[in-house]
Parts: sequence; C-alpha cells; structure tokens
Amino acid sequence: MQTDRRDFLKLSMAGAAALSTMSAGATLSGCTSSGPASGMKLLRPEDVELLRALTPAVMKGKIAPGDTAGIDQTLQSFDTLMVDLSEPVVAGVRQAFDVLSFGLTRGLTTGQWSAWSKASLEDAESALARLRDSSIGLLNAIYAAVTRLIISAWYLIPENAATTGYPGPPKKVAGVVPAVAPAEEATP
Amino acid sequence: MTDLSTITFGSNTDPYNKAAERGWDITDASQLTSSLELEADVVIVGTGAGGGTAAETLSKAGLSVILLEAGPLKTSSQFDMQERAAYRDLYQEGTGRGTKDGGMVILQGRSVGGSTTVNWTTSFRTPPETLKFWGEHMGVSGCSGEEMAPYFAHMEERLNIHKWPQAPNNNNAMLQRGAEQLGYPWATIHRNVRGCLNLGYCGLGCPVDAKQSMLVTTIPGALDNKAKLVHRARVVRILREGDVVKGVEAEALTPDVRGTTGQKIRVRATRTILAGGAINTPAVLLRSDAPDPHGRIGKRTFLHPATLTMAIYEELIDPYYGAPQSIYSDHFQWQNIHTGPIGFKLEVPPLQPAFAAGFYGAAGEQITDSMDKLNHTQCMVALMRDGFHEESQGGAVEINDKGQPALDYPINGYLLDGVRRAYNAMLEMQFATGAKSARPAHKQAKHYMSWKEAKAAVAELDVAAHKATIGSAHVMGGCPMGDDPKQSVANCDGKFHQLDNLYIMDGSLFPTSIGANPQLSIYGLVYKLSTTLLAQFHA
Repeated sequence: MQTDRRDFLKLSMAGAAALSTMSAGATLSGCTSSGPASGMKLLRPEDVELLRALTPAVMKGKIAPGDTAGIDQTLQSFDTLMVDLSEPVVAGVRQAFDVLSFGLTRGLTTGQWSAWSKASLEDAESALARLRDSSIGLLNAIYAAVTRLIISAWYLIPENAATTGYPGPPKKVAGVVPAVAPAEEATP
Repeated sequence: MTDLSTITFGSNTDPYNKAAERGWDITDASQLTSSLELEADVVIVGTGAGGGTAAETLSKAGLSVILLEAGPLKTSSQFDMQERAAYRDLYQEGTGRGTKDGGMVILQGRSVGGSTTVNWTTSFRTPPETLKFWGEHMGVSGCSGEEMAPYFAHMEERLNIHKWPQAPNNNNAMLQRGAEQLGYPWATIHRNVRGCLNLGYCGLGCPVDAKQSMLVTTIPGALDNKAKLVHRARVVRILREGDVVKGVEAEALTPDVRGTTGQKIRVRATRTILAGGAINTPAVLLRSDAPDPHGRIGKRTFLHPATLTMAIYEELIDPYYGAPQSIYSDHFQWQNIHTGPIGFKLEVPPLQPAFAAGFYGAAGEQITDSMDKLNHTQCMVALMRDGFHEESQGGAVEINDKGQPALDYPINGYLLDGVRRAYNAMLEMQFATGAKSARPAHKQAKHYMSWKEAKAAVAELDVAAHKATIGSAHVMGGCPMGDDPKQSVANCDGKFHQLDNLYIMDGSLFPTSIGANPQLSIYGLVYKLSTTLLAQFHA
C-alpha cells in the first residue's frame, strides 16, 4: 500500500511537471496573447473564451448558456477580482488558464479537443468533472482556482448575493449617532 | 435574528477623524514625491497584534517610535460591510494568498491594524498545554502559564477582553447544542469588544469601532505618544553595519498597494522590531540575507489548517449576522499533546455569501442549490493543532527572485487523517441537532441526508490534498524563539540570535501552533517582550 502510494505520488508529480512545462511552452511559443481583451483590464481574449464556456456550467441554475448578459456581468466582476488580487496570484491564475486554453493541454486535461467557443454546456461540465476527479493534484488545484474565482465573481455582485436569502448588511449614514443601543450595555 | 439590512447607523466613531486635532503624525507613503530619511529610537515593521502592542508599550515610556505598514490606512468611516471592498483593501493579496501549491487558502490582514482589523475577535490566552510543551520540548524559558499570566491580564484589560455576555447567534448555538447532544464540553468565547452591536461584520472591518483592534486602541495610543505611522510602505530589507542592525529600508507603494512608486523610505533606529506576521517577517530576513547558520528562518511555519462542514436546517440560521464566534469546543483538542493523531478545536465561521461560496469546492447545481439555502445553513470549522507531533513539521517560507514570499506547506497523511476525523465529528454534531442535510468541504462530496449516509460516504471519500478544502486564518512560527540557537531564530526576549539590535515581536516566534485563535497569545507575549526591551533602554 505504501509502495503503491509512493509510485502514485511520483506519477502525479511527473504529470504535474509535464503540465507546467507544456503550460510554459504554450506561453513561450506565443499560443497565448499578452494584451487584455476588449473591455477588460486583465482578462485576455483566450481567458474570456474559456470563461464564457465554463461560467454557465459552474453557475448552473443561475446562468443559462444563452444568458449573455449574465455571463458578461460575471466576466466583468471576474476581471475586477483579478485586479484586486496580487501579482503572484494573477500569475498563477494565468498559468491555470494557459493549461486549459492551449490546444494540447486543453485536450489532455479536459477532453475538450475543439476550441472552447465550440463547447456545449455538457462539454464544459464534463471538463470540470475531469479536472475535479483527476488523480493529479495540480489539475484539482486548477479546478479549485477557476471555479472559486467564477463563483466569487458572481456572489460578489450584491443582487446575486441576495439570492441566498442574505438581506445584505446594515446601512451606514454619514454622521448619524448609532441607531441601535450597544448590545452589551443592554444585556448585563 | 432580525433583518439587519433595515438598520442604519452613523460613522462618527472613527478616531482618525480627529487625527489633526490630536496632532497625529501619519504619512501615506504613496503620496511621497521624494525619498524619506527618518530616525527614531525604535522602528517597528508591521502594525498588527505584535507591532501595535510594542508601539504603545515603547512610546508610552517616552521612546520615539516609527511604525511602518505595507497596507493602507483604512478606518471605520470607510468600512461599509461590503465583501468586495473589504477583501481588496484589508487582506493580503486580496484574499488570494495561498500555500505554494494552492493546497490551502490563507487569510491574513493587510492594512493598519494587520489581521486584528479583520479578525473575528476571538480571544484565548495561550493554552497551558501549549506553554508547557514549549518549556519541555522546544527550549522556551520564561513563558510558563504563571509567568505569562500578568501579561495576558494586562492586555485583556487594555482591549476589554471579556466573556461574550449575549446569546450566541444560531450558527454558534448549533455548535453548543451539538456538543450538549453528544456530551462534549463547550464554552463561551471571550471577545475584545466594547459597545458591540452584534452585527457580524468583524471580518470586513468593524463599522462602529467596537472591536478593540490595534487600529482603534494601541495605534491611537502610540500616536498620542508621538509615534509616527507611515503606511503604504513595504519594508524590503534591514540595514546592517557588520553584526549590528541600524534600521530598515522600505519602498513606497501605490495607492492600491499593488505596485511601487519608486520612492524609498529609510529609517535609522537604535532598535529594529520585525512584526509583519509569520510570512512577512521571515521574508524580510530572507530578503536581507540575514545570517542563518542552522537554516531555521521560515521553517516550521504553522497554519492551524482548517476544514469545514456545512449543514442545512429547517429553521433560519442567518449565519452572516451576529457575533461571528461565541462558542467553541475542545473535546477533540488535547487527548495527546504530541504523540497521537492531530487534535482540533471546533468553532464556527461567519458566512457572508462570497466568502461562504468558496468553502464547498463544488460547481454547478451542487454549489448554487447549496447557496440558495445559505440563510438556513450552519457551518462548523475544525482548526487543527499543527507542530506538536513529529509528523507535523509545518511549512517553509521562501522568497522568489522578486523577493515575494511563498509558503510551501505540504499536506501529508497525518494532517489528512485529521481532516477525515474532523468531517465525522462535525457532521455527527450537525445531524444530532436536526440538520436536514450536511456535507463536508470536499470537491467530490455532496449533501448527505443522514448521519448514517454521511459516515459511510466520508469513509469512501478520497481525502487528499487539493480535493479537501483546507484553509487557514492563523499563520504562526517560522522564527521560533528558544534558548538554543541551533533550534530557534530568536531568544526568549525576542532578540534575533545572530545580529544585535534586531528583535522579532509577532506570531512568527511561536515554536508550534497555539491550539487556539492566536491574537491574545501575540498580545501577551509581545507585551512581555516589549516591556523587557524597555528595561534595556533604561539600563
């Protein structure tokens, strides 16, 4: 059992190393563009294409594949979220995007051999499940990062947060004395 | 709870509104148009639990103190209880900080007040078991429970730390009920609050300054004592002449603290205190090429790795409202201090929506259906006590070629065994209190309908790094204190072993994790260390 596990870990590490190499290759060979997509501060055109395909799968029940407005709003929120992260985190997210966007690694890791723009909802769901269930930790980590960011981007929009039954925070009004009696003083 | 969104209140509690009137010396480094040269008796790097406490103690005695903070000065006038702005402005890397391989998310504060500006106010003295272990196994002297007691008592008084007198919110009440159902001990948490409105937004910056964070206590205290605060100033390295430390060099950050402006801040000081927290303090030492003959700097960094379970109840829980943490149970914490499976403390986290959505590791209807019932959701968290057992060596802080820190913390089988046991402990408590369904924070899990089903499912789950959601809000260690320089980075006065006039006063001094939320452990220890340092000035 111990030996099996060690061998398995070695395989995982080898797989992870191969993927990082391929991801670096994708960037170096110019398969990914450097500038942001139109209307975006950090998301690149290929990131937008990927996220357009994945967002309806990640947010199923909230965003239908044809819901362009819902997808656009989530992508704008995602782009703002990227700006709010740090440079090392953004670099890591971009590496994850590169693995998922570059043809060879995209196909090997997600089973999506054609471009993301041609992916159906079922294709996107199957891609996410492959990343999630993979025995390679790096792919689980990519799944976690991409889904968590899409989900955060969506729930960071206050009207979306309200769908959880959350009525929102109290309102602050400039210069007004607290309207509620300090709780501790009220209860001995 | 009532719907708090209908409540309005003012923002007239902000002490920084009277900064000019009180003669406070505050510099926003992002606005500097030339480099700045400063001198002081003491320069303190960081304004969190350690830096704030040291600043007040030393300035009160008449020493000139300069505080440097990489984050921005954000105060209650700006705290609007919205998640996006809080995560952007008040947390390291916009809450995107994680361990090197992405296996754990790390929540740490990054504004004036450090993590105390965003923590959930939970206050524990360092547990006696931990202090005893340090004395017996980690070469720590002078820190027994008896020796520490007066320092904890002083800081409890200073920060109004007291047992929370109100009823727990429903999220915490379920932990209490679960413990009662299963015969586990539980207790009420002590909190550092004064005039708390029981709103639940401690993690987004207290909007009414009820939380007695460093932002509204020791830092205003130090400013009243003529200390100088420079924010948006990131310390790059310590300045040395031979084996003597002469101060620090910092770079001014842009207003959004994501970039540099090119201006430098150089502070020359008789004593230099590092208090940037357990990732940034070792990082400053590593960037400075500080002598490290035994390879200890940044090693044995601990996180209280935490995992969660979420349950849905028939009744309303409203887990985003009310004092975030008021009940805990140590039933699984101290069975074997360092010889058995990893122990864990049970608490609950507050569930503001975007924050909570990150726990599940799920996508599609698994996440959107769960989140639709957030107002009926209760969440348990288990904080694992790392650093005591030989199989729990923690992580290592490293810097990359740009000097940016990363924490390499491998998740091993010892820790993962704790994750699985914690899932079981928490799920059983949730079903025992009438949960309709519950699930662990694991990417391949789902909501289970009974304890029997959950127990069987957890036994089959692939509890592996990257599949289980594991996170941390407590970074500790990396510059442990101890009498033996081979095993530690600083001595038990906080003095860096290898250089003179350099001190460490933050949670990086801890030789293991604490086994409890660490803020009061930092306050008490740093109050002791800064009082000792003061005696040197007077000697």
